[in-house]
Amino acid sequence: MQGLRVILRYPSGTAGLIVVGVFAVLAVVGPLIAPHGPFEVVYRADHSVLRLAQPTGQAWFGTTNQGMDVFSQLLWGTRVALIVGLLSAIGSVILGTVVGLVAGYFGGWIDEVLMRLTDVAFGIPFLPFAMVVISITRPSLGLVILLVVFFLWRTTARVIRAQVLSLRARPFIWAARAAGAGDLRILVRHITPNVLPLSFLYAAIGVQAGVMLEAALSFLGYGDPNAMSWGTMLNAAFQAGAMRTAWWWVLPPGIALSLFVIAIFMIARAYEELLNPRLRVI
Amino acid sequence: MAAVLRRVLLLALTVWCILSIMFVLFKLLPGDPATIFVDNNMPMEMIEHQRQLWGLNDPWWVQYLRYIVNMALFRFGDSFFQNQTVADILAEKVANTCAMIVPALLVSVVFGTILGALAGWKRGSRFEQATVTTSLLLHSAPSFFMGILVLMVFSYQLRWLPPGGMVSLGGPEGFWAMIASRDYLKHLILPGLVLVSREITGPILLVRSSMLEVKGSDFIDILRAKGLTERRILVHATRNALLPLVTYIAVMTGLLLQGQVLLEIIFAWPGIGRELVTALGDLDYPVAQAALYVMALVILLLNLLADVLYGLIDPRSR
Amino acid sequence: MALLEIEDLQVRYRTGAGEARAVDGVSCAIETGMCLGLVGESGCGKSTVAKAVLGILPPAGRVAGGAIRYEGRDLVGMTPRELRRIRWQHIALVPQSAMNGLDPVYTVERQLAEAITAHRSMPAAQRRHRIAELFALVGLEAGRVRDYPHQFSGGMRQRAMIAMAMVLDPPLIVADEPTTGLDVLMQDQILQQIRLLHERLGKAMLLITHDMAVVAENCDRIAVMYAGRIMEYGGEAVFRTPYHPYTLGLCNAFPDMADRGRALISIPGTPPDLVSPPDGCRFHARCPFATALCATMEPPLVEVAAGHVVACHYIEQADGFRARAADPATWQERVPS
Repeated sequence: MQGLRVILRYPSGTAGLIVVGVFAVLAVVGPLIAPHGPFEVVYRADHSVLRLAQPTGQAWFGTTNQGMDVFSQLLWGTRVALIVGLLSAIGSVILGTVVGLVAGYFGGWIDEVLMRLTDVAFGIPFLPFAMVVISITRPSLGLVILLVVFFLWRTTARVIRAQVLSLRARPFIWAARAAGAGDLRILVRHITPNVLPLSFLYAAIGVQAGVMLEAALSFLGYGDPNAMSWGTMLNAAFQAGAMRTAWWWVLPPGIALSLFVIAIFMIARAYEELLNPRLRVI
Repeated sequence: MAAVLRRVLLLALTVWCILSIMFVLFKLLPGDPATIFVDNNMPMEMIEHQRQLWGLNDPWWVQYLRYIVNMALFRFGDSFFQNQTVADILAEKVANTCAMIVPALLVSVVFGTILGALAGWKRGSRFEQATVTTSLLLHSAPSFFMGILVLMVFSYQLRWLPPGGMVSLGGPEGFWAMIASRDYLKHLILPGLVLVSREITGPILLVRSSMLEVKGSDFIDILRAKGLTERRILVHATRNALLPLVTYIAVMTGLLLQGQVLLEIIFAWPGIGRELVTALGDLDYPVAQAALYVMALVILLLNLLADVLYGLIDPRSR
Repeated sequence: MALLEIEDLQVRYRTGAGEARAVDGVSCAIETGMCLGLVGESGCGKSTVAKAVLGILPPAGRVAGGAIRYEGRDLVGMTPRELRRIRWQHIALVPQSAMNGLDPVYTVERQLAEAITAHRSMPAAQRRHRIAELFALVGLEAGRVRDYPHQFSGGMRQRAMIAMAMVLDPPLIVADEPTTGLDVLMQDQILQQIRLLHERLGKAMLLITHDMAVVAENCDRIAVMYAGRIMEYGGEAVFRTPYHPYTLGLCNAFPDMADRGRALISIPGTPPDLVSPPDGCRFHARCPFATALCATMEPPLVEVAAGHVVACHYIEQADGFRARAADPATWQERVPS
């Protein structure tokens, strides 16, 4: 709650919160108010397919080359973006925080093994790797989220570990130990509360990265074919050469994606300045 | 020296892990060479022969060892479909990717450092505000949409610049002839612009914040008291502020490589990322796995380089 | 004409609470070859005087009034270009030893050489010779000129700083708490070096310290500062027969060479807030002899002997103060009224 108040002190953080709030509302109610389904073809009164129509009263944002309503697709895509963002953030932060806590606190060979694992993770180029994995199985939203989690946990783990290392050397930890607290108790009661702010920060960054990576994979054609995401829309538009012919098809998903990602980043940034006042501009 | 040796050994360990993961992945991919080249009408003996040829009848550990050794020695074999060795194909594609990345990186690092140093030095100025805000926006924006956007505007609407490729059809042959041509420069502008607009933000933000830290150091006061010019003092401060940048550049290049796939698709740039996408689509596995391996290896080597370089330029770590 | 003359210097700092008057009307002078000691507790503004003299006030600070005249020319109004010519050639600095006065990424030799090249053209060989000479003077091994600052111990770094201050042979050296942060043995050696500059090489010096004993041993003139103002200013008499209760307190707080058995007494309380300094004498809240007058009227600097001025209402009672100041009970924390 206190973090929220701090974010609101920054104009950019406030703007970010508003934008994300609007997207969140759209994700919930969007599919209810969308005039069409994400894959539904729109027909004219004479039953011909309404292909590549400019934005009009019938289709606010126009239609695609297959006669699908861009506005509706955008609303459905918002839901997909939020699901992917939230789940991949939660997954990666839990995984990363646990690894970081364990490695940093216990040290020794446990630390060595876990850190070498993160090294391996850092050596894997995400997009190419994810494309190969998706080629093996059938593409699905769950798999995309899983891959994003496997890509994002490594940074969180390293940062949390470093934080734990510095916490471990602080007097209050010795004091707790001198007072007879066991490892588990120290870890849960004394160290975890102190790394949680960082975990939240990386969760925010995780939402951003998750949405961006899903969009990138879908744009490359490796997204879930049954989920209409902004990346899927861009992929279809790109394949159909809409950059030349149908700006109304390209801009909405691109702008929505950019807005969402930038808004999350601004929130994360404001929150980060709270954690690390040195970053402050003034 | 021991530390460097340790790093190299760890790198080998990491490469081995990644190769093992890749071995499993590519074993699991649908279809193997035998089934791809074999059609159903082929007699069993021929299929068997194919399997023998590709070593698919050997025990898995023999196949595994052969795979690791081949990869480690860069023996990637032949492409399934292109009449070339994988190594030749990749060499060409890597060079093309470099032709896009290297100029963009140079511009980003040089100008990013200068802008970041100035922003940090003039703390609180309007220049700092503008630079930081723009950088934050560009840093967080999805660059592949920016790619699409600049294509729409500059190629399709205004028709100022070519919409993709590295050179026009019928352009100069041979890598260096291409690089030397104006045609290549024209093709480089748009993808280069998109790359720079994102990559430049890293050095700007990083150098700015480390500049702020250096600026508060005591030795800056002494330099001023020594009667050095502001410019000399700025050089001292920048030299100190650059230390973290070296590590960052390597990391940034690694990240850039991962996003490279997207830019190469959008701008139809015949680089390694686009080759990977094509190879995966064509089920040309030797090319795909070698491309993935080369990318991973480059990222790992860059990280190693970052560590070693940092040791060289920061006297305190010697 | 004095070499350096500070007249009614005012330095203000912007802070969150308002403007702090870190230096509020300080005047003093240093003759050629003379050593002026500026003493006071930390936060009394003495380092700010040094920074103002060298023109290295932090961005939040500014000279709000007064003059700092070097050989008659006011440094305050100078263009950066003119100022650069005075810096280090005429006034050099030995900073607080706790400061990282050396750039960590250049060798010590390069940093000394840089001070030379910034002001003079001198062949490289001659430069190296000069640096070797200075290393010998301050007692550093000649073989270590190519070392980086982090390879030096704290004491060696401070010697290097002294060598650097000497590199252009300036007439005036400002030494700002040159021994804080060093261990006691090292403090002694560094002080000897500083004394050598002053006594053997005839440098004029502005020595800033909180240690009365250091001042007593080294300085010809002494200015006692408190809360941005000068409380007492004069020659040896300042510590032999101090008038101001604050000076008495400072003398008490440090061991006396002549009287080893004397108990050390510290002054209770803390210096006042400089954003809104107290009315009357700035020391009155901590002064054991303060009266109602002290809280309302600020005492002017009054001459008690030739060249010895004191800002206290009760200079005629100084004999009594001196006697009572030796008694620790005098300095017991008073119950705030």
